[in-house]
Amino acid sequence: MSEQAAVEAFLFREARLMDEMDYSGWLALWDKDGVYQVPIGAGGEPGKVSIVNDDYPRIEQRVARLKSGSVLAVEGARGAMRRVVSNIEILSHREDKCEVGSNFILGVARTAEQQLWIGRSVHALRRAGEDFRIARKTVFLINSERELPLLQFII
Amino acid sequence: MTDAPLAQDAVVRGSVYRDPGLFQRELERIWYRVWVYVGHESEVPKPGDFVRRQIGLQPVIMVRGNDDKVRVFYNRCRHRANLVCFAERGVAKSIVCPYHGWTYANTGELVAPTFDDGYDYDLEKERFGLTPLPRQDSYRGLVFASVAAEGQSLAEHLGGVTEFLDLFMDLSPEGEIAVDAGEQKVVYRGNWKYMPENSMEGDYHGPFIHGVAFDLYAKRTGFDVTALATDEVPDVIRSLPGGHMVEDYRGAPMDPPKRQPSAARLEYIAKLKARHGEAKAAAMLSTMAPLLYVFPNLMYVITHLRVVQPVSVDRTHSYYFPVMLKGAPAEINEARLSDHEFMFGSAGFVSPDDVEIMERNQVGMQARGDDRLYIGRGMHRERSMPDGGRSGMTRDETHLRGFWRHYVSLMEDGE
Repeated sequence: MSEQAAVEAFLFREARLMDEMDYSGWLALWDKDGVYQVPIGAGGEPGKVSIVNDDYPRIEQRVARLKSGSVLAVEGARGAMRRVVSNIEILSHREDKCEVGSNFILGVARTAEQQLWIGRSVHALRRAGEDFRIARKTVFLINSERELPLLQFII
Repeated sequence: MTDAPLAQDAVVRGSVYRDPGLFQRELERIWYRVWVYVGHESEVPKPGDFVRRQIGLQPVIMVRGNDDKVRVFYNRCRHRANLVCFAERGVAKSIVCPYHGWTYANTGELVAPTFDDGYDYDLEKERFGLTPLPRQDSYRGLVFASVAAEGQSLAEHLGGVTEFLDLFMDLSPEGEIAVDAGEQKVVYRGNWKYMPENSMEGDYHGPFIHGVAFDLYAKRTGFDVTALATDEVPDVIRSLPGGHMVEDYRGAPMDPPKRQPSAARLEYIAKLKARHGEAKAAAMLSTMAPLLYVFPNLMYVITHLRVVQPVSVDRTHSYYFPVMLKGAPAEINEARLSDHEFMFGSAGFVSPDDVEIMERNQVGMQARGDDRLYIGRGMHRERSMPDGGRSGMTRDETHLRGFWRHYVSLMEDGE
């Protein structure tokens, strides 16, 4: 399988795990020192608040909370979201790591008003045998600087 | 002025969350009348810095002029009423209307209309400056303005709530906060009044909707916030004249965290002691700073200033501005920001539980039957306080009753 095909297969699998709220499956894709961020705007400015700014222990906490069954904003969400991941490009490549850019469109139909979430993901992926692990994932929402509804799922 | 309850004070009509006519009335009777929080001076540190804000539905800008003074203007060109500032924030030597190029100094004066040889009368420039809000004032950097030309002074409006504003601002070893860490913006489908009500009664609803998050927080930091509400303590819940609400934890010390304080924490503690003396610093550090609500739109909640912004009767924006403590070690502020991201914003672990509840509340409110909400907890035991307000125990609804008494007084008087 080409590098491009392997990366695409990995991102499609991640998308399915997120859509199907398979939080444990999603967590297993991560490096143990992974960093997951959803900045406001371009991000990267120290001392500025983010939407999500998780080190690995906090990714684990996020997953534990979503799995707990007692988060109200998760109630009724099963089957209510699907995303399309596209425009997948390997942006850079170094030894066993590559940086991958992709775009997504996500529909969420949990509440009366169906939501559309659109953004770009940049993954730093590390080769792990035939598979990859996520070393870093940064999600740039096109509306990150606007008023957002609840983001109580994995994006 | 005192704030004593009446028998019907334990009841709120559902229509106040639901009726578009009452929403319009709130704009006129509340939002375009009382002092409304606009922003903090540290958001516009340099001359020319500006931020866009709203008072009710009216767009305004807060700008620091070249004379270093912070002013609040209507965000409306004096020519044909276009927005003079489109950007949410920025820096401007002069403010130029994009429509026909009318140009204003960052102190508000009209510098130049355009093609002014075409005006067939002597256009008096001094009459065409940006319109300032008729009343503007500040308290320790918190800038307030009022659409109404006449009314109470800001000091009268704030009244006893300054004691509680001081308590969180004094967490800074320099006695100054910095609102310079950006902001999270949230929208929800519900009335604006759920936000202050819900934000100030976490000890009652906390065990029901925040259990998982509080457990995770205790594991992460060693602080068990649920301990604040284990025993009900008198005078935690406070209503103040003017509709303000407070959760005052000074009588409810927390268990000290089990782990050793870091070097940064020890440095921070030493700085607070140097500034405030041993006893006051120890008291401040023994519990959480008060949660407070300044009527109608400002809150301080644990890590941040929160601004509630009505959009329509059933749609509201909420803004979360992390508060940094000037003079505190960098690690202390980094931890505050990290705690904030843990708890708040669209993807946080605590406030989304509240927002979900507010959206469900708006739906539940469509069901009539008996259209009264009941806020009677602690009615029989609430006490008058020297500041003219009332107090109750940790999970009482005393402060909600105070909020609604003030709301009703504004909505009904002058008919």
